Amino acid sequence: METTSFLPLLILISSLIPGILILLLREEQAVLRTFLNIFGAVAKVGLIAWVFAGYLRGEEYTFVFNLALDLTFTLRVDQLGLLFASLSSVLWLVTTLYAIGYLEGGQHRRRFFAFFSFCVTASTGIALSGNVLTFFIFYEFLTLSTYPLVVHRGTDKAVEAGRTYLWYTIGGGTVLFLGVVGLFVVAGPIYFGQTEIIAGLISEYTTQLTILFFLMLTGLAVKAAIFPLHGWLPVSMVAPAPVSALLHAVAVVKAGAFGIVRLVYDVYGIGIAEQMNFLSVLAVFAAFTIIYGSVRALFQDDFKKRLAFSTVSQLSYIALGVAIPGVLTSTGAIVHLVHQGIMKITMFFTAGNIAETYGYHKISQLNGIGRRMPLTMGAFTIAAFGMIGLPPVAGFISKWYLGLGAVEAGSYWVVFVLLVSSALNAAYFLPIVYRAWFCEPEQEVVSQLRSGRLETQALLLIPVVVTGLLSLAAGVFAATAGSPLSIAREIAEKLYLL
Amino acid sequence: MIWFLTIVLPLLAAIITAYLPTGRRGSGIIFAGATLPALWLGLVDVPGVTAHWFLLESHFSLDTPRQIILLLTGILWATSGLFAGSYLKDDVRKGEFSFYFGASMAGNFGLLISAEVAAFYTFFALMTFASYGLVIHSRTPSARHAARIYLVMAIIGELFLITALYLAVQSSESMLLASIPPALAKDPNGPFIFLLGLIGFGVKVGAIPLYFWLPLAHPAAPAPASAVLSGAMIKAGLVGWMNLAPVGLVEWPSLSILMVSLGFTAALGAAIFGLTQIDPKTNLAYSSISQMGIMTVLLGIGLYGGIPAGLLLPAIALYAFNHGTAKALLFMGTALPAKVGGYWRILMWAGLGVGVLAIAGGPLTGGLWTKYMVKTFLGETSLPGAQTFLLLLTISAVTTTLLLSRFLHLLHKIKAPSENMAPPFLLPWILLLLAGGWWTMSTTLLPTELMNYITKEKGIMAFFWNLPTNWASLWPITLGVILMALSLKISTLNKWSLKKPLLPAGDFLIIILMAGSLLAKLLLKGITLLESGTKSLQGPEKLFYRISDDKRASQISASAESMLRRWDVVGIGFFIFFLTMFILLR
Repeated sequence: METTSFLPLLILISSLIPGILILLLREEQAVLRTFLNIFGAVAKVGLIAWVFAGYLRGEEYTFVFNLALDLTFTLRVDQLGLLFASLSSVLWLVTTLYAIGYLEGGQHRRRFFAFFSFCVTASTGIALSGNVLTFFIFYEFLTLSTYPLVVHRGTDKAVEAGRTYLWYTIGGGTVLFLGVVGLFVVAGPIYFGQTEIIAGLISEYTTQLTILFFLMLTGLAVKAAIFPLHGWLPVSMVAPAPVSALLHAVAVVKAGAFGIVRLVYDVYGIGIAEQMNFLSVLAVFAAFTIIYGSVRALFQDDFKKRLAFSTVSQLSYIALGVAIPGVLTSTGAIVHLVHQGIMKITMFFTAGNIAETYGYHKISQLNGIGRRMPLTMGAFTIAAFGMIGLPPVAGFISKWYLGLGAVEAGSYWVVFVLLVSSALNAAYFLPIVYRAWFCEPEQEVVSQLRSGRLETQALLLIPVVVTGLLSLAAGVFAATAGSPLSIAREIAEKLYLL
Repeated sequence: MIWFLTIVLPLLAAIITAYLPTGRRGSGIIFAGATLPALWLGLVDVPGVTAHWFLLESHFSLDTPRQIILLLTGILWATSGLFAGSYLKDDVRKGEFSFYFGASMAGNFGLLISAEVAAFYTFFALMTFASYGLVIHSRTPSARHAARIYLVMAIIGELFLITALYLAVQSSESMLLASIPPALAKDPNGPFIFLLGLIGFGVKVGAIPLYFWLPLAHPAAPAPASAVLSGAMIKAGLVGWMNLAPVGLVEWPSLSILMVSLGFTAALGAAIFGLTQIDPKTNLAYSSISQMGIMTVLLGIGLYGGIPAGLLLPAIALYAFNHGTAKALLFMGTALPAKVGGYWRILMWAGLGVGVLAIAGGPLTGGLWTKYMVKTFLGETSLPGAQTFLLLLTISAVTTTLLLSRFLHLLHKIKAPSENMAPPFLLPWILLLLAGGWWTMSTTLLPTELMNYITKEKGIMAFFWNLPTNWASLWPITLGVILMALSLKISTLNKWSLKKPLLPAGDFLIIILMAGSLLAKLLLKGITLLESGTKSLQGPEKLFYRISDDKRASQISASAESMLRRWDVVGIGFFIFFLTMFILLR
């Protein structure tokens, strides 16, 4: 094997250690806590950038730790993992800033920030896992570290939501565990990318491997919120805005989607999955979820709930892209991992800003909010246009690749699904945009819950503007080297070369 | 560099002018300045560029027809920008107007200079969605209604368009617009892909049966915005068609006949329907639908084969140029009668008269030779019934004259100010009159090849002074004017109402709304049935936990009801229904 490098471990530690230290601090030590948080976040972004640069130079980073015979804890850097790790680290940095502003003067901040750090450690761990076992460890670690965040408010509703969340995710984890153990028994340890192992065994163990695929897929589908396993997602939006933002954009749901990508591309291999007709099943479920989530979103008046159902729908774009074989659809799926993240986090920040500044939680209250919070709503408008798939926002790029790929693969029904979904996205996002910019506010003067010199507190405003601009930039500069699209395209091209 | 400035300057202008307070001057000059790169590109040939960093790698370049339309677009945005600068100086929503105006301008220029699919689609969408802000500008209930219908139709158009582009790009295996027509010509699915594009862009063009948003939306905007909507932005759909149409490469008789018949239906039907309207701007909107019909006919005969694209497409662009300048002149002219007094009114009426004549194809105007080009092409095509088409074209000159003299009559009824005065926005209007007049009557824009073709190599001046041509164009107009004058003078024939339109604007919409509300009722029934069915079962969310809120189901059905009553939902439902049927039947 390659030489061992501690860099991947260092990336994980950069958020794990601050998390532990924060737990040891007292609640009042806000300055030190903030320092630790920001230090960890910046260090992680820096380390990932460092590793990324090294990776582009052709260096390999692998960390192996033997747990038992044949069972290894492996961290390995590859392009797909790096893409996901960069996404989580950058959005973590932004969300940390946001959370500091959001929770100012709130309760239990020590607990919150500690688990917040653990949560990101887990999602970077998922990104950098080199084999199925390591992936599973971090996947479960993620479940446990997000629970305290979901129930953070401690209200009955939050606890109830937390219970639902645990039911779903622990259930999914159990199913995934069965799959992972079964796979180990049948095929031995599998490192990501070693698709030849399954390819060699598939004729001998067809039934077993089929069952195991669907066990693992089901386990992952819970976090990826594929119908009918999505029930936890709309409920858990009771969590504070930064948590919802991170949950919906990178941490939990993306772990599921990323897992599906890994399972199909790096464990079973696209060839086997297609040959065994696994993909068509996934495609049908994903397509149904896209439409179902959008239809449900139409009927929500609660801002965050509408966003939550929209997440259900948008995530399945990734699954759908994975399920249609072809370079273009794979590119679309992988790039949507990133694009959906930055667009959705913008939307949740917006919802949080409005709720914190004016106390509005319902869409019907948003008349004329654009004039009061032009920058926040501007960012939201960009993200909403992106979700609909309008250029030049990031979402257009994903949809363009998915649609073009579907046409190329001859799956015209997928194009139809994309169109219906675009129409539905427009039907539930444009009314928000319309209310914000073109309706007169009901009262001329409204008191602000939090006042600042800007439209809201700077720490709440800057993150939303940054992610809004990122959503725009990811679309406008899609052809530039180093853009999410160019990386996704490289990954997809490599997949089909093999 | 100039290619990027063409797009970036209008965007900058949008942002700067949005912050100019109400009552401040300067936004007109800023807008006019932002059009300079576009005007330059419209007049001077500049080699194209590739932007490797932009979207999915964009190319910017122009061909003859698009260059002509870019010049038109530049002139219209410059003059209407100046016009808007003083016309809306004291408007409370001046800042918002300026923002949407500049953004629409950027989109309009951008789509004309894009030579690649993704950039084209981007700027097309930018223009479409930014001009929503122009339509809704006055915030009156009728403007909101118009804007909503505009938006729903725009989204439906975008969806057809993106499907057409997916298929076209797949078929041509290239992102370049120029490679699409040859690819469609070869592809057995070519006609189908073109049909999708025909529908997608047809919404913008106002083609029958997708036009009904147009007579609501174009007049709803303030006068300078209506001018660019009806003069420049409507042409974006035409450019889209021209980008896709494999003119001269194929023989698609059924599509050709479809386009020609829809075109003539629009040319005659819209002009006649427009007569029932009492708002001068609505009259003009119907006239736009009618004129776009003639351009649809021209493109339609191109799909029958036999006419090279090099001749036909510039001819269409020139027709669009003449119509665009004249229509913008008339739209901005609707703001003048209430503000212009004394001697200035002579100038105003003269200008309006020239505009009307140019659209109707009157003697000594640009309309004379653009209409003559249509006649030439109609005479040369092997399309069955070409002789009838020539007759229809002549009749359409009569109906257009009727419609536009009705328009002048309506303007005449507006109370004039008593003293001798001219508003500052008369100046850009005169500039537009001069610019439009110069370019439509000179030969600068006319490609040599096309000029030789239509004037039979005798030169343009000989053509202008040719008595038979002038006579052929004069008598339908005279007939129209006489008919209108008679109907106004003879009281038994004077049924023209000035208070209420005989028929509502947006005619076809009424039928759709009725069908839509019927469908919505049926859907509601279906939903209530389904809900009562699923209540006994456990919904998918209830698999793992019990719902705490029992009222939810009833709330959902209540909100479902109110949502379904709203007609934009119905419109989307319609679209889904249509597509399903289409796929089933294919």
